[in-house]
Amino acid sequence: MDTQEHVIQIVAETLNLSTSEINESSAMENLELWDSMAQVNLMMSIEQTFDLELDPEDFMKLNSVSNIVEYVDNQ
Amino acid sequence: MGRTSSFEDLLEITSLKQLQEKTGNWFQSLTLLEAQKLQRHINGLGASTHNVKLGFIHTYTSDLLNPWLEFHASIHDIDLDIYHAPYGMNVFEAQAGSGLVQHNPDLTVFMLQREDLHPLIKQPVTGLSVEQQRSLKDDAVANVIKILKAFRHALHGRMVVTILPSRFSAETGMYDLQSEFSEVDWWSNVKKEISRQIDETLDSTAYMDLDSLLASVGRQQFFDLRYWYTTRYPFAAQAANLFARQLVSVVEVICKPKAKVIILDADNTMWGGVIGEDGINGIALGPDYPGNAFIDFQRRILDFKERGFILAICSKNNHQDVIEVLQNHPHQVLREDMFSALKINWEPKHINIQAIAKELNLGLDSFIFVDDSDYECGVVRKELPQVHVVQTPKKAVDIPYCLDNISRLEILSLTQEDKNKTQLYAQERQRKALQSKVSDGGGDIEEYLHSLQMEMSIELNAEHWVERLAQLTQKTNQFNLTTRRYSEQQVQEYISSNNWLVASFSLADAFGDSGVVGLLLIELQGPDAARIDTLLMSCRVIGRKAESAFLETVLTSLQQQGISLVRAEYIPTMKNKLVQDFYSNHQFSTSDNFAFERSLIEQKPLRADDFPMKISLAS
Repeated sequence: MDTQEHVIQIVAETLNLSTSEINESSAMENLELWDSMAQVNLMMSIEQTFDLELDPEDFMKLNSVSNIVEYVDNQ
Repeated sequence: MGRTSSFEDLLEITSLKQLQEKTGNWFQSLTLLEAQKLQRHINGLGASTHNVKLGFIHTYTSDLLNPWLEFHASIHDIDLDIYHAPYGMNVFEAQAGSGLVQHNPDLTVFMLQREDLHPLIKQPVTGLSVEQQRSLKDDAVANVIKILKAFRHALHGRMVVTILPSRFSAETGMYDLQSEFSEVDWWSNVKKEISRQIDETLDSTAYMDLDSLLASVGRQQFFDLRYWYTTRYPFAAQAANLFARQLVSVVEVICKPKAKVIILDADNTMWGGVIGEDGINGIALGPDYPGNAFIDFQRRILDFKERGFILAICSKNNHQDVIEVLQNHPHQVLREDMFSALKINWEPKHINIQAIAKELNLGLDSFIFVDDSDYECGVVRKELPQVHVVQTPKKAVDIPYCLDNISRLEILSLTQEDKNKTQLYAQERQRKALQSKVSDGGGDIEEYLHSLQMEMSIELNAEHWVERLAQLTQKTNQFNLTTRRYSEQQVQEYISSNNWLVASFSLADAFGDSGVVGLLLIELQGPDAARIDTLLMSCRVIGRKAESAFLETVLTSLQQQGISLVRAEYIPTMKNKLVQDFYSNHQFSTSDNFAFERSLIEQKPLRADDFPMKISLAS
């Protein structure tokens, strides 16, 4: 599974949606369920799944599938 | 790798009972994503049986706990409806029409911080004099109790109060406890005082100490400070997981049948080895490994006995071999008189367990069965699905802790009744012995009842029993005409109300006192009519005409108040077939077998001397 598929799966799981409802352009600004609360759970799941530790400064930047994929790939 | 593959195994599970009966903290290492995945798998197995409404009053972020709460609830077959009040510990939410009051939660959880108790707690308390510390403690406790009282008044369900532990280690450092101004000492006194006042002044309310959760995971694993400083959410994943688990165990205790009996196997459960082969000197039970683990296990079981659980043994052995250990083994902790039932024979275990249920007059769904054998656990699971089966872990070192995560073994309050329970059932054994002696001698049942020298004490609106009366409504399944469950708060309301009559009784006889075992909740409907809302009795006094004596005496009292018509109903459940003819047998008439009425003018209540006991009535 490549990073993007993986991230889409995590976003879908966190927002309780199916993976078909999420794609590379999904983001906080275009998904109603992706609110600030979902964002915190999403950050936790990203950390636990990819075994990395985010800085608080990154929390709000990682607000779209493409941003998250880019961040994870650069680690 | 090991963990990943075991998580995949979890997704293969096809029945919830398998998950519920898993021992140990298997869920503790799950990630949030795994928990959500597993929850979805569980939801796919079918809809939950129980629906429970939760409410949160919180001064820090609480809604991020939702996925963890829903995860643990799903394992225990519970569907949660969760409401989070707006931030803040203010009495506004306790007012009629507030979001919380409208949500009408079965359980309201208070997630407070220390600073909420008193503004001065933001400062180091070690800077205060001993006198100032004391008055700060008193003021802080008074503040929180006052607000809790306002909520208690407005809410019907249970309440659980928590206070977030400090993010910092002790103010005065490593040797804090030695200091005259010790913060740890001060705080533990504050908690003690809050718990004490909750216990004394608030019904159906418990204090859940998060400091003990902090101690078990460690401060660094408990807090994730990044989320705390960015979103006021304090918990690292593992702490959130365990906290949610604890809250769901409270929910379980509220909505599931109470566990009452722990049935233990003997060989390889209470001790290592097989008594019939290894002999009393050969079994592992003593100060060395693995015997010391079995001593610890028995010690744990003793804790549960102190909490009020009844103990029984179900073992395939020669009776005398096991009795020999119970009586004479120097390291045996659980002695013969601590067990209320012993089935040590070669019958199949499910037959023996059914016999224990009959002997103790308790439903199978109140039983926890502990055994090491795949075969025996399998048979009991198959034949008696109502029984909670615990298979002891393979490694001796894990055995002492195998009952630690069963929430139905947690109790929300301990009444004196609970503590006396084993004794009460022992008395019942003696009564049965007398009964068979009387009947063997050709005597009839009336003669037996008179030989018991029973004395019934009926009390009206007895406020001092409110905890026990609520407990009776929650626990009684078989002799219960309507099976309506009430909280302490609700029972208290009925006791205080002029439109309700709350009658209860206890029964003493030659062998001992039953404690409070019966309850009538009666609503007065106008000047001359009344409705029996609840009539229940503990099964331990069945077969002694107590139910009739109780009902007729209370009806006499109603008649004296001018009541001439009494309505009643029978609501059938899986458990209460026993009482389906109760009202028909007590001069009530019915057209449909569910709604009944009795005219006290035509069908006068029976008098006290119609019953084989002395009856006293106190109001």
